Amino acid sequence: MHIPENYLSPSTCGVLGAAMVPVWAHAVRTVRQTVPKEKMPLLGVAAAFCFLAMMFNVPVPGGTTGHAVCGTLVAILFGPWAATLCISIALVIQAVFFGDGGILALGANCFNMAFVLPMVGYGVYALVMRAGGLRGRGFSKPDDGALDSAVDSKPSNSAALPTASTSKRELIAAGIGSYLGINAAALCAALEFGIQPLFFTSAAGQALYCPYPLWVSVPAMLAAHLTVCGAAEVAFTVGILAYVRKVAPGFCLDSVARDAGRDQAVGQSFAQTAMPRRAPFQDDVAAEPDSLAQRKGRAAVAVLLAVLIALVPLGLLASGDAWGEWSTEDVAASVGYTPAGMSGGWEWHSMLPDYSLGALPDWAGYLVSAVVGVALLVIVFRVAAAGMRAKVDFGTR
Amino acid sequence: MGRASAQGDAKEQVAAEKAAQTGARATVLRPVPQHTAAQQPSTALPDWLLQGQDYHPDSDRDGFIRKSILSMAGVLSGFRIDGGQETPFSPSAPVKLGIGLAVILLTSLSTNFAFTLVMLAAVLVRMAILPASALRRCAGISFAAAGMTALVMLPATLLGQGQSAVLVGTKVLVSVGVALVVALSTPTHELTGALSSLHVPGEVIMTVDLALKSIVDLGHVALEVLQALRMRSVGKNRAKGASMGGVGGVTLMKAAEAARQTSDAMRCRGFEGEYHLARRQSLRPADAAWCAALVVAVALFVYLQGVA
Repeated sequence: MHIPENYLSPSTCGVLGAAMVPVWAHAVRTVRQTVPKEKMPLLGVAAAFCFLAMMFNVPVPGGTTGHAVCGTLVAILFGPWAATLCISIALVIQAVFFGDGGILALGANCFNMAFVLPMVGYGVYALVMRAGGLRGRGFSKPDDGALDSAVDSKPSNSAALPTASTSKRELIAAGIGSYLGINAAALCAALEFGIQPLFFTSAAGQALYCPYPLWVSVPAMLAAHLTVCGAAEVAFTVGILAYVRKVAPGFCLDSVARDAGRDQAVGQSFAQTAMPRRAPFQDDVAAEPDSLAQRKGRAAVAVLLAVLIALVPLGLLASGDAWGEWSTEDVAASVGYTPAGMSGGWEWHSMLPDYSLGALPDWAGYLVSAVVGVALLVIVFRVAAAGMRAKVDFGTR
Repeated sequence: MGRASAQGDAKEQVAAEKAAQTGARATVLRPVPQHTAAQQPSTALPDWLLQGQDYHPDSDRDGFIRKSILSMAGVLSGFRIDGGQETPFSPSAPVKLGIGLAVILLTSLSTNFAFTLVMLAAVLVRMAILPASALRRCAGISFAAAGMTALVMLPATLLGQGQSAVLVGTKVLVSVGVALVVALSTPTHELTGALSSLHVPGEVIMTVDLALKSIVDLGHVALEVLQALRMRSVGKNRAKGASMGGVGGVTLMKAAEAARQTSDAMRCRGFEGEYHLARRQSLRPADAAWCAALVVAVALFVYLQGVA
């Protein structure tokens, strides 16, 4: 789903990039308001999950490949606007360092995968949860009563510990949301591909950019995402969400309220007597030492991240390019001519093109790329957290 | 008036003598001066006190002092004599220093970009698990250095050699990152002590130790002088820049005084000119793993040099 360089016209890239500017601005503002400073590094880990999920290529019937994005997962854990920010930064790193997706097409890729996908996925998730009489537990602002109820020792639905039935319903909602979310994103990408030959053609009638019209691009993209890629997205989202809910309940935004309620219930006895020890992804900005459960949770998430990095070379088992990510030569061989905009277009020379390391085997290049990408994402969000001012909530006057 | 005052002084003297004899605290009550009607002081406030305060100092620019104070405080916060963040998996300081230098050397000598990228991955992982304050400093300086390098290499990029700019920029990022990670994750006294493993003469290590401590002490002196200068600067003062020599002069005098005191103290303790380190740093179990990783890195370097 990563639209490469020169597949879209500059005007299409410009329009979608301009459309993303207010979205990014609103996402940054919302994340500043809703995500506490001590939770910011976890956004980097969530972005790392997206980055790794996009490296697991799965074969699609027809000779192409696809991948999951995990946008709905991040939206459920940290809110849709945080997901927009996380996936956008992951896409920037992929484009700049690995040449996965075009630099000029960054606005389009972010629109599809960082905006449409998490918004649709989280919206469907919230609807399904609401239909069951439950509210989405992933995105609660500090002023929506969750924190107050936690302080009053009367946790609301958002602050309550998950029961078996709510967990099952949540996983079902997450599965449906992620499936529809990735298909909505694929539909948008297909539309962007498909309108190119309709609007941008040469005097000879040849396409200047992507040569495949809507009646080719939409079925091709949706066929892959309604089947294999959608299933991969559901598997990643539900699997990671179930793991996180079980072993690391603190790895989400609403755990602020939930932890507050739980800590008060046990009198904060353990949290106060616990030895202050830094757990993975915990910054020294936290006001109080974390409990043993929180440290174990962070360690479990770190283990999951390490396992995913180690398994990343499995993505190489699927040979072939994803639909719409072919080289210029492949496109020319397919349609019989080289679109003028693609042959003379601008190209970015990335540091690790196609996640390869040249002299080293492909699996080593894939592994090093995964490590570099995950480390960069964690560094970006931890540095952002270190630059944030700590907020103190004095309550309502 | 004169008689009453004399009587009051006599009573006060008697009370003080009694207090001195008994050792108790005595409260001496001074008699209220008796004024005649003609000498009654006026209760009206003086005219100058009744005038409204109309003092509006001109806006003064104290950028010189403010920036000096901020930069001095920044430098002092950088010199963390008691700093250094170690983890249970950290190698001992000599091993860490040796590995750091070896990685910088190998990265510089490497002609295969793949080796540089593998080192980059390792440095980024270590950087990502640094404490927040150290990470901010390390990432900021490393990426700024790499960015500056890319800027310097801009002509090469414009001439079609963009790969060279990426290569040199990445090497700078790795080298600066390794140096900062070693510096920020090791207490300073251990780092200077580890220089002995490189057969650096003891006098040099002593000089570095003393210099680091003196920089911090003299930095505090300069900070105090700058604060005093700012507090004394009331109203419009166009000659703040002229005080720079004064700040430097006071700091220099303090430095000379501190050096003389240190020299005297060392002579009093029998210093004969030879400096021996008091203790040798012991190796840790984690050192073996780190040394094995270095061997793997060297093997990878040799292999990739052959491929290149």
